Amino acid sequence: MKTDVSKSKIITAEDFEKFREYFYRKTGICFEPTKRYFVDKRLIDRIEATGNHDFRSYFTMLRFEPSGEEMQHLTNLMTVNETYFLREEYQFQCLVDSILPEITAAKTDRKPIRIWCIPSSSGEEPYSIAMYLLELWGGINSWDVEIISSDIDTGILQKARIGRYSARSIQHVSPNWLNKYFTRIGDEYQICDDLRNSVEFTRVNLSESADTRLYRNFDVIFCRNLLIYFDDLSRKEAAESFYDALKPGGCICLGHSESMSRISSLYKVRKFPEAIVYQKPLEAR
Amino acid sequence: MAFIKNQTPEPINQEERKHERDCPNLLAQLSDPNPTARRWAARDLINCPQSAVPLVERLKIEPDVSVREVILTTLTRMGDPDCVAGLVACLNSEDAALRNEALEAMKQLPDEVAPIMRTLLADPKSDVRIFAVNILESLRHPEVESWLIEVIENDQHVNVCGTSVDLLGEVGTEASRKPLERLKERFKDEPYIQFAADLALRRIYEN
Repeated sequence: MKTDVSKSKIITAEDFEKFREYFYRKTGICFEPTKRYFVDKRLIDRIEATGNHDFRSYFTMLRFEPSGEEMQHLTNLMTVNETYFLREEYQFQCLVDSILPEITAAKTDRKPIRIWCIPSSSGEEPYSIAMYLLELWGGINSWDVEIISSDIDTGILQKARIGRYSARSIQHVSPNWLNKYFTRIGDEYQICDDLRNSVEFTRVNLSESADTRLYRNFDVIFCRNLLIYFDDLSRKEAAESFYDALKPGGCICLGHSESMSRISSLYKVRKFPEAIVYQKPLEAR
Repeated sequence: MAFIKNQTPEPINQEERKHERDCPNLLAQLSDPNPTARRWAARDLINCPQSAVPLVERLKIEPDVSVREVILTTLTRMGDPDCVAGLVACLNSEDAALRNEALEAMKQLPDEVAPIMRTLLADPKSDVRIFAVNILESLRHPEVESWLIEVIENDQHVNVCGTSVDLLGEVGTEASRKPLERLKERFKDEPYIQFAADLALRRIYEN
């Protein structure tokens, strides 16, 4: 009997293909066949956890469940959330030394500077930005700043709101900043309430235009190491969503292995001393 | 000054979203004077299955590059026969930018373009046949090599064959060897064909 049950929970190549296509359509995330083990393991876990007998019944439930709760749960499991504080720090240096000085110099109103981080993951990136602005950007005394951090994974957003981190996660934070912004609790580090309150965390599916159309008028977008999980067409759609989300003259920072020039011709390449970023042309609408 | 939190997303400019988002209104907005409204309409039309033809018509006259990009993305994402037919029609355009955009979009649609590839490769215009070979360059489809072999066996135009040979140098296998040798015979007096075919044969041999 036991053998029968476990046999029925094997994910066949056809099942994998069916799931892969569906998940891609819903999230823009494309799993290559080399990710079979990663995907199969999570699917089998969810088939068991939801009391389904096999992939077929689970997949039917996934597709037709009105609340979409299981789809969200599975999405949370399928997304990779590996990051740490001050990752690719040269871009934060670029933000405070080059991007923001240029943006504030060109501003004709006193509206807040708006920064969007996507994917948020567990919050290391938006909190790193907040620390950088407080410590290394003089403009923080003259400008209001809004930091909005979004992710498709609701579980990781909750973790980000709580703001508790491992020693590995804070390994690049200087002792001075660690002392100023964190409290050690056992083996972990709790970020201070001032920083927690400085970032708004929201759930966004970048592949869903109904989600992204609410995000407009950003001065800077950080989208690092996400588009590598997308296929060409989904990358292009994401680039077009960011174009609408940015103000004219606004900039987008991608991960070090990513290039907007290979995705879309809409952006101007800006070579600042610290980093290459991509700018929505000032004359764009 | 400080960090501030805005609990509600920045309101969308009402002027730019002045129409309802149903299909007839979205189609009407493709002609809106504001490029942002046209761009958003082109994106939202993904949910309107009958919109391929008007999207292609708009693409032919659209001056704003950001709107053109979104129209092409929507057509690629839809990928239905009307979209493919519209993109094929663009290959005949005098506008080089439009031809290239259509070509790039078609490269993303291997399964949809495959059924019409033979027709494209037999188009009376040699330029269109060359574009078709260019599409094959990035079309991830198992038939690519056999289509190229058909071209070098049958096409009378030296430039069409030359473009095909260049590509066979990258994707060709043992199956291309004999056809390449026959091509050299057919175009004995064309130095470029001799050079390109020899190069392709050498690469096939090395692989």
